[in-house]
Amino acid sequence: MSLVLGNFLQALRASDVRVSTSEGLDAAAVLGAIGFDDRRLLKTALSQVLAKTLDDKSRFDECFDQFFQAEDLRHLPPADGQPDGDDAADDGAANGEAPGDTTDPAATEGEAAGQPSEPGLEALLEGGDRARLQMALAGAAREVGITDIKLFTQRGMYSRRMLEAMGVEALERRLYDLRRRGEEAEAERLRGRLAVLREDVLALVDRQLLLLTANAGTRLREEILQQVPLARAEVSDFRIMQALVRKLARKLVALHSRRRKVAQRGVLDVRHTIRRNIEFDGLLFDIVWRRKKIERPKIVAVCDVSGSVANYARFLLLFLYSVAEVLPKVRAFVFSSVLAEVTELFKTHDVEEAVALTLQKHGWGSTDYGMAFAQLCEQALDDIDHHTTVLILGDARSNYGDPGLRELRQIHERARRVIWLNPESRGFWNVGDSEMPRLATACDRVDTCRSLRHLERLIGELMRTAV
Amino acid sequence: MNAPTSSATDVRASLAAIHAGFEATGYLCSDAIATALFLATNLQKPILVEGPPGVGKTELARATAAWLDKPLIRLQCYEGLDESKALYEWKYGKQLLYTQVLKDKLGDLMAGAKGLAESIARLHEFDDTFFNTEFLEPRPLLKALWEPGGAVLLIDEIDKSDQEFEAFLLEMLQDYQISIPELGTVKATVPPVVFLTSNNTRELGDALKRRCLHLHIPYPDASLERRIIASRVPDLHDSIRHQLVGFVQGLRALDLKKTPAISETIDWARALLLLHADELDVELVRSTLNLLLKFQDDITQVDSELYRLISAAHKV
Repeated sequence: MSLVLGNFLQALRASDVRVSTSEGLDAAAVLGAIGFDDRRLLKTALSQVLAKTLDDKSRFDECFDQFFQAEDLRHLPPADGQPDGDDAADDGAANGEAPGDTTDPAATEGEAAGQPSEPGLEALLEGGDRARLQMALAGAAREVGITDIKLFTQRGMYSRRMLEAMGVEALERRLYDLRRRGEEAEAERLRGRLAVLREDVLALVDRQLLLLTANAGTRLREEILQQVPLARAEVSDFRIMQALVRKLARKLVALHSRRRKVAQRGVLDVRHTIRRNIEFDGLLFDIVWRRKKIERPKIVAVCDVSGSVANYARFLLLFLYSVAEVLPKVRAFVFSSVLAEVTELFKTHDVEEAVALTLQKHGWGSTDYGMAFAQLCEQALDDIDHHTTVLILGDARSNYGDPGLRELRQIHERARRVIWLNPESRGFWNVGDSEMPRLATACDRVDTCRSLRHLERLIGELMRTAV
Repeated sequence: MNAPTSSATDVRASLAAIHAGFEATGYLCSDAIATALFLATNLQKPILVEGPPGVGKTELARATAAWLDKPLIRLQCYEGLDESKALYEWKYGKQLLYTQVLKDKLGDLMAGAKGLAESIARLHEFDDTFFNTEFLEPRPLLKALWEPGGAVLLIDEIDKSDQEFEAFLLEMLQDYQISIPELGTVKATVPPVVFLTSNNTRELGDALKRRCLHLHIPYPDASLERRIIASRVPDLHDSIRHQLVGFVQGLRALDLKKTPAISETIDWARALLLLHADELDVELVRSTLNLLLKFQDDITQVDSELYRLISAAHKV
């Protein structure tokens, strides 16, 4: 019982359901309380113990069905007269209440391990006893340690190893001999049997692979996406990116709110307390706590969505959106030649829609930084004070036009900080119509932001210093 | 963990008993809910109930209390909820009053005491008088532990409380005990059945989730919802009940700000009963739609599709 449970937990973890040890123990207790017999009940019960979010629950259901289908195949009772192993498995899953298949899995486990090579592979294939064959398969699978399979490319290796463990080499030699002696009919028959066996083995390996590595691929992809430059990421990756940014944002929000709480806790303000309590003859009656004043960060974010950053624009907007989600007071602007405020749009739409709408309405023009900064001054300068961080996302390529340095200076003088995030790496900043070096003189900080890694670091820093 | 391996028939029997018991209290529960209760009583674990608002999370606790015939003790969570509101508080006023009243006795007590040290030593012998259960004001959590026959404790909307409070609950949920610095540890004689409900306004901590069974109550399917309406509004005619449930199920498939939950369906059913309606038609639905939908945006959206929804409901 515990072996099956252990395997199941492993499969669950592989499909990205987080299961802690104590939850595993709970699952064992559940098994003790309700047993294996009622498959549907077991599923409901285990899902309540092991899967604790809605996402987890759907993953759990999928994994449970797959796993116990595979399990049923492994534990067919030897005397079972069913001609086809698959049918038996399906029956078991469908009406798991039938008292007939209350096999104690641990017991069959032991039996199965001992038996595989005993009847001889050829006899097994000839006999057409599917149940026996399945047990032999399971035995071989255990022998080669199939649960260690990690990658898609290992399928061939594991299936070959399993075949060898079942003694396929002898058969192949016989096949070779038959061919040489010219007994074609006999050889053909044997070849057919072998092909069937190979298919069975491959199916078993595939099932295991699916169970154990369901999510390894996604994880790898996520890891790579964090480092890949934003411009090179495909639009199809946008969804994953978005999930990553969301994750990041949530993490940062948690950190952020905790920091605020710590700041609020306060220490006794002695001077203030004494002064406040003079009227009570100096009895310390009304106590004053020293409060750390919290400066709510205000952010004015400006994002370039023109043709020159077309590749980046989606991701810059994604970034902008996540910033607006994380921090409380954000005014978001986009421009290509004309500046437009998108704060409301971001608040009312979800990320995908908001990004698409913004690009559709304001994107793809030619850049005019001078105009954009002038308009920014017009629209938001009153809002910019010594609490405000101004965040500019863009490549600073103004088509040899006015880069708007004067306006940016004006903003810089009023704002607490001006941060410029440029999707181009530093090497390009001096090349062509890039005005970065000149504009950088009116910024407190200029940085490259080309991948999610950069993004994470920057938002984190922003929040730490903004609070 | 204390439950011995029981046979499948036993389990099924106790599940059936749960179903029947709940039906008697007027709450129709799904298999998942019955399983959760069975596990909760067997493994002595709290149940964390999640689901969209209005599917009967709080009602579940109430029905459990009625079924088990134990008192329901409810703790409503909100931001800023702390120990003194949830667990216990000293009755400061009473303590103060008693000290004032007993001031005169102080002289007798101190009679013959030499020096300050001795006086204080004498006082020490009595100071526990003011910090015992006599002066303790139990709040819901402590009440639930003290309840001699056990209780049903409902910690409602745990997601509204702060993270600190959530952490504070852990000891209580794990061992059904609470530490009070002045008194020591209070342990429940009969562990209460604990429900925590959450609307998912914030992600709950892993530590909390680990200690709970997780029960998700979705919107009911058509047949269950019909049965619920039948038991709650028994006078409503069969045919209109079918149409009504069909219509609400159709609404849930739309992309609305706030989809109608069971409680709204019940309200609507009552309204239709009052209006003596025997069939859904566009005018009737349009005039009563504000019982189901609580946002003007939703109402305008549904209004344009009324005809389609109603004809679909008629076919069910």
